[in-house]
Amino acid sequence: MNSWSRLHSWWQAMLHRSRMETEMDRELRFHLEAFADDLVRSGVSPEQAMRRARIEFGAIERVKEEGREARGVARIGELLQDLRFAARMLQKSPGFTAVAVLTLALGIGANTAIFSVVNAVLLSPLPYADADRLVLVREVLPHAGPQPFEVSGPDISQIQKLNHVFQKVGGFRVWTYEFSGRGEPQRVTANRISSNLFDVLGVQPLVGRVFTSEEELPGHHVVILSYGLWQRRFDGQLAILGQTVNLDRKPYTIVGVMPRSFVLPLPGMAQGVAAELWVPLGLTKAELEDVGDNFDYSVAARLKPGVSLGQVNADLQLVAQGVLETYAKAMSDAHQSLGDFQLGMAAQPLRDDVTGPLRPTLWMLLGSVGLVLLIACVNVANLLMMRAAGRQKEMAVRLALGAGRFRLLRQFLVEGMLLASLGGALGLAVGLWFKDALVARMPASVPRFHAIELNWAVLLFTFLIVSVVGIVFGALPSIWASGTDPYSSLKEGGRGASEGRERQRTRALFVVVEVALSVMLLIGAGLLVRSFERVLNTDPGFRPERVLTASIDLPPDEYSKDEQVVSFYRQLTERLRQTPGILAVGGSTDLPLMGGWTHAFTPESYRPSPGSGLLMSYHSVIYGDYLQVMGIPLLRGRYFTDHDDRSSTHALIVSESLAKKYWPGQDPLGKRLKWGTAETASPWLTIVGIVGDVKQGPLDFVTALHTYEPYAQLGEAPSLRIAVRSQVEPASVAAAVRAAAWGLDRQLALANMRPMDEVISRSTAARRFNLLVVGSFAVLALALAALGIYAVLAFSVARRTHEIGVRMALGAGGGDVLGLVLGQALRVTVIGVCFGVVGALGLTRFLGNLLYEVQPTDPPTFVGVLLLLLSVSIAASYLPARRAMRVDPMVALRYE
Amino acid sequence: MDKQLDLLQGTLDMLILKAVSLGPLHGYGILLRIQQISKDRLEIQQGSLYPALYRLEHQGWIASEWGESENKRKAKYYTLTAAGKGRLQAETDNWNSMADVIRGILGTKPEEV
Repeated sequence: MNSWSRLHSWWQAMLHRSRMETEMDRELRFHLEAFADDLVRSGVSPEQAMRRARIEFGAIERVKEEGREARGVARIGELLQDLRFAARMLQKSPGFTAVAVLTLALGIGANTAIFSVVNAVLLSPLPYADADRLVLVREVLPHAGPQPFEVSGPDISQIQKLNHVFQKVGGFRVWTYEFSGRGEPQRVTANRISSNLFDVLGVQPLVGRVFTSEEELPGHHVVILSYGLWQRRFDGQLAILGQTVNLDRKPYTIVGVMPRSFVLPLPGMAQGVAAELWVPLGLTKAELEDVGDNFDYSVAARLKPGVSLGQVNADLQLVAQGVLETYAKAMSDAHQSLGDFQLGMAAQPLRDDVTGPLRPTLWMLLGSVGLVLLIACVNVANLLMMRAAGRQKEMAVRLALGAGRFRLLRQFLVEGMLLASLGGALGLAVGLWFKDALVARMPASVPRFHAIELNWAVLLFTFLIVSVVGIVFGALPSIWASGTDPYSSLKEGGRGASEGRERQRTRALFVVVEVALSVMLLIGAGLLVRSFERVLNTDPGFRPERVLTASIDLPPDEYSKDEQVVSFYRQLTERLRQTPGILAVGGSTDLPLMGGWTHAFTPESYRPSPGSGLLMSYHSVIYGDYLQVMGIPLLRGRYFTDHDDRSSTHALIVSESLAKKYWPGQDPLGKRLKWGTAETASPWLTIVGIVGDVKQGPLDFVTALHTYEPYAQLGEAPSLRIAVRSQVEPASVAAAVRAAAWGLDRQLALANMRPMDEVISRSTAARRFNLLVVGSFAVLALALAALGIYAVLAFSVARRTHEIGVRMALGAGGGDVLGLVLGQALRVTVIGVCFGVVGALGLTRFLGNLLYEVQPTDPPTFVGVLLLLLSVSIAASYLPARRAMRVDPMVALRYE
Repeated sequence: MDKQLDLLQGTLDMLILKAVSLGPLHGYGILLRIQQISKDRLEIQQGSLYPALYRLEHQGWIASEWGESENKRKAKYYTLTAAGKGRLQAETDNWNSMADVIRGILGTKPEEV
């Protein structure tokens, strides 16, 4: 049989339903008229003929229905009929519909929003071609600890040469330049890149070209701009190629502009913020000779087809051996030995670098929003069940009149789908609003190289939720409806009897589930709140209020002599000290909370146990009254003075934890340590002061050892971050700081000028965000649970009015009735809380380092949530209980 | 008039195809033609004719077109399609061989077993 013609006929029938109907009418009428004509011809009177014709023809409507069925359009007709009926049913109980649709919309909307974030951040491709074949290669120095380092500059070419697993290997290094010559001077983040890096990443410039391999050698002053810089500083003009910009006051020729979508390094990567321009790597002679040092270069590589990560890491071990030989050679050239120095290499997919740190957070958000949806669904299922109870008679009548069970099931399914679709449609609106609210509050560390939007993937996700919810909501009431036979349900609903026990139990079960899920969410949120509280209460080790900081990097070519640098900072400090409102001025190579240098050190007479690795500490070189400005307390000894310079004994200030660790129970003042290992040829430094511990990483970071050295004592003059403590709001002295710096050098770029308060709040932004989202979910869950408890009790009281009336007539007092209702509420709540606590105990441990100084089993949180749930449950039962107590026995007994 | 026979299950489609194969007919005409050929010995429920017609059209064995009847009324005329011609042939063959077999079985005498 021709399936095409069947489809065609069906399609025609669908398209021209109404035409088909009229044609069918006309055809049948013709038949009847022709038949009647023949009857008249055979002698029947014309008045009688038509009647006879109709009777002999049979039931016209049934013929039509069979005709429709033959054409395959009957199903659609019935479906439309079901849909109309479902819409009428929903219209008939607007209260139920509003609550159900709104509940679903909240659940679906929240899920849509969170999924749109997860989709954009975790699931979308990186903005590089075939990014799943890109890896980052790192070097592992077992001496310095297990975590991998970036790569030493000269090793890039070794990796390129020695590997067998990569198609291409490129390298880059994060750098900053003073950008001037167009508008206000600015400090820009740049990358020095190998000429093939863009090729490795599979990206092409929007305008112009990439670097040639010849330009990779030092001395080629060419630059590729980012789209953003091009727009900001050059208004996106097309005739950009060949123009020059000044980087560290040297002219660089623009050879290209990258497309808008291109970002490097990607947000989330350890290499920091996105670069605004790119220059050739240009490894200098000195950098090439510095073998086995400066592990500051990032290496990105594209895998050969069919190569697995395991093969890559196996091959990299051989590469590392080759690299180690170059280290040994360099050491022997310097008449030293490598000793038992070891080197390893490891590759990690680029995607893991970008999304790895975020994954726990996003899965947690997705999990908690899933719980919200579950709670919402249970709530609606509960409502549906109460309504099903009210519709039992309808079902029984329909079954008794011969409606098929399948027909009833379909009716319920259509109702469920309609309800879910309404919830989904409104949910999309809620989701859109919620997504915008999320995006606006999202911390900057979340990678966003794709716009977070409700794209087709998100819509598909929402559609899936709606379908599942709709089918479940359709199937559940029909199971309940078909569970009892028409006879008994007609009887049970007949007269004022209390409800079937089974049904009560199912509804109680719903509330238990709802309470349990809310408890899990609330405990999760509670633990996050407690962690956040702990983080905020963490002593950062310094006093951030009224401290303003700024980075002032001096261009190395203009300030090539150390004296120039020293003189600049001395003059700047003096000018600032004389500024009214400024109390103290200092500088440091690193600021608290922002990480920084770590340095290997060895205390005098320290004997390392074999294989213990190097001792590392944060190290800051400080200038002026830095410690006083930051309010880092001096515990013993003294601060540095102007006399701590190269001519005196080398002075050092150490943090309290370092002193305690290496000189426990002794006076650390006067003790000595040196940089590197015991064999390193570096001078001993004498401890002159002990200061308090400072959080060098974010507030929730483990406190690390710290050493401070005076600027004047150093053999070099690094750039400094300037810090000033003021009497007034720090923002108000910003202009003075800028004026002082520009008074010395008008081209100077000041970067990161911000109060320390702001630095602190930035370091807690991610936690605040998590807390806000999970907290609002928890509140939503609690509200839904309260609504659920209320609805069940109210319904139960209404259903039991008759029973309560009997009890009161038999002498029960208001207190007894109150106890009846409250007891019912508390029973389900307590059972729910028990299950919730068990569930929470199982789940909270996955929160891992989202928690801070709080155990996943933190008793105060658990107890608090328990009490909260109990009071909410009592509050939710207040109205139904009052209604129950006011039952008038006489009215109730007549009540049906 | 001879006693009318009830239509065997599933044979109406075949009869419609045969009737239409003799020339284009409207629904009432098909009814008349089958009665005429069968010399009024077959009783066809008028109501069952149309669902059968729609089914056959849906399956692509007959096609329909609006035309004018003998007494100038608009009527829907059915014709046999190429596919319907093949179908009719197949059904006829099938019916004949089936009738042979059945007749053979029914005509069997005890001594032939």
